[in-house]
Amino acid sequence: MGRWVLLFILGVIAILMVSPLVLTVFTSLKPTTELVNPPWYPPISLTFEHYVRVWTEGGFSRYFFNTLLISVVDAIVMIVIASLAAYAMVFMEFRGKLVLQVLFLIGLMIPVTAIVLPLFQIVRSFGLLNTHLGVIFADLALAVSIFVFMFSSFFMGVPKALHEAARIDGATEFQIYRRVVMPIATPAVVTTALLEFLWSWNDLLLRLLLMTKDEMRTLSVGLLNFQGTMTRDVTGLSSGTVIMAIPVVLLFLFFQRHFVRGMTAGAVK
Amino acid sequence: MAGVELKNLSKSYGDVEVLHDINLSIADGEFVVFVGPSGCGKSTLLRMIAGLEEVTGGDLLIGEKRANDLSPRQRDIAMVFQSYALYPQMTVAENMGFSLSLEKRSKKEIAEKVQEAADALKLGPFLNRKPGQLSGGQRQRVAIGRAIVRNPQVFLLDEPLSNLDAALRSETRVEISELHQRMGVTMIYVTHDQVEAMTMADRIVVLNGGYIEQVGSPMDLYNHPATEFVAGFIGSPKMNFIKGRYAVAAGTTTLGVRPEHLTIGEGDDTWEGKVTLVERLGHDTILYVRVPDAGILTVSLNGQHNQNVGDTVRLRPNPDFIHRFDDQGKPNAADLVQGQG
Repeated sequence: MGRWVLLFILGVIAILMVSPLVLTVFTSLKPTTELVNPPWYPPISLTFEHYVRVWTEGGFSRYFFNTLLISVVDAIVMIVIASLAAYAMVFMEFRGKLVLQVLFLIGLMIPVTAIVLPLFQIVRSFGLLNTHLGVIFADLALAVSIFVFMFSSFFMGVPKALHEAARIDGATEFQIYRRVVMPIATPAVVTTALLEFLWSWNDLLLRLLLMTKDEMRTLSVGLLNFQGTMTRDVTGLSSGTVIMAIPVVLLFLFFQRHFVRGMTAGAVK
Repeated sequence: MAGVELKNLSKSYGDVEVLHDINLSIADGEFVVFVGPSGCGKSTLLRMIAGLEEVTGGDLLIGEKRANDLSPRQRDIAMVFQSYALYPQMTVAENMGFSLSLEKRSKKEIAEKVQEAADALKLGPFLNRKPGQLSGGQRQRVAIGRAIVRNPQVFLLDEPLSNLDAALRSETRVEISELHQRMGVTMIYVTHDQVEAMTMADRIVVLNGGYIEQVGSPMDLYNHPATEFVAGFIGSPKMNFIKGRYAVAAGTTTLGVRPEHLTIGEGDDTWEGKVTLVERLGHDTILYVRVPDAGILTVSLNGQHNQNVGDTVRLRPNPDFIHRFDDQGKPNAADLVQGQG
């Protein structure tokens, strides 16, 4: 009996979670004439005309490229920076280590919205407004703390003897990082890549703030084009949302196993 | 190859000194075992020689060269870890050849050296396996192979057998001894197992509380322990220590008698007691005998004996092998006393 109640509750939660996605997909595939039907009605005759329109006239091909470029660079650079910093924190002794750890901790505590204006000023002072580089720097700076902690917790699970054995074998710290530690850190690497890619892919605030020119826009900003003060292009918004969601969903499905392992690394011995 | 010299070596963590004024000279090609109870500092001392722990006082010389400030890679040493410390993502061959690849040796040379070491350690069939696909004993041999391949000046082994079962441990013990004879390299071996120390070492260094208690050959330590601690630590079953009237009668604070130096006998020079436990090992019989005013004494009798729990027996200490210790735990002299009845 208890099991059935549990299943029912889980079922309701699952429906609540999935229904916005299903409704969005339905709307994106409906011809305009079917929009008068209630939104939960499935499309009677399927059409991809909205996808084509959004991709070409809506500028989504350009936005997609911009988003992909920023997200991929974000993810790759974040893996390198965060893993190197975490390696130093875990395996090396140096002056000022504690101060650095505290600074990273502070980085975790400050919300982006609280520092939006100073961030804007800094990016502008570097002349990086309306450049991909400006957004990438801001993304990296704002998220590096959490990934340093994630890598640190993973590295703490790496037996110290491995590091020592490599030192005895004659490896430099960078050789140990590259040839001994990183090859076994796949779960942490995948988790960082996925999360940073996802955050970068979905972020609206920084892109809206730091890139005002149309040719520099990303998908999340591009979606706003379908929403005016008085009107709303529902089919355009829906197909744009689906276009934006597909890469992320595919990535998660593909790397799910590694992702879960990375998130739980360091939780138990 | 090279010898190792420790001059007034000490180690502190903050204000706490854990190793005090260590002086030791290890000859080229010698097999030296550091032995002692947990926390005595033997692993720390080994790690200082390896360069994994900083030397905070004194001098460390490897091959007559001061090595205090040299990194592990500059010391030309190899080390076998208790946990094996094999790189899990690499094959056996890659593990063994890792140090050579760091030195940018040619692939051909690496392959030859790895094959040579693998043949010596019977690891040939496993060269393409990952460490996770090997048994504990095989992993330990890979760890030894990784050290051999480098042809180091000094070979350091930190409790390398403690993760193996008893049978494999004695087998690997023999292999390491043979390896030492074959290579003739200086080996420093850390263990808490005095059987390993006795069977493998040219010389044993007994450490206790961060001090060297005694340095000597296994038989030196067994026959002439410099302190009560060494007497109790070397030998299995451990030496019986008797205080009270028997010791006073012998003119000392503590009498030490090894279990194998007690026999069953009759007469005035024997101590009467009651058997509380019997362990029959086949080749030996171990009796635990409660002797009034002396406590429970362990007796190791050669061969098979028919004493049972509750039997009254009389124990005769071999007068040629009785040790006397003063209240500082030092031997009164290299003297032998007659047991008192």
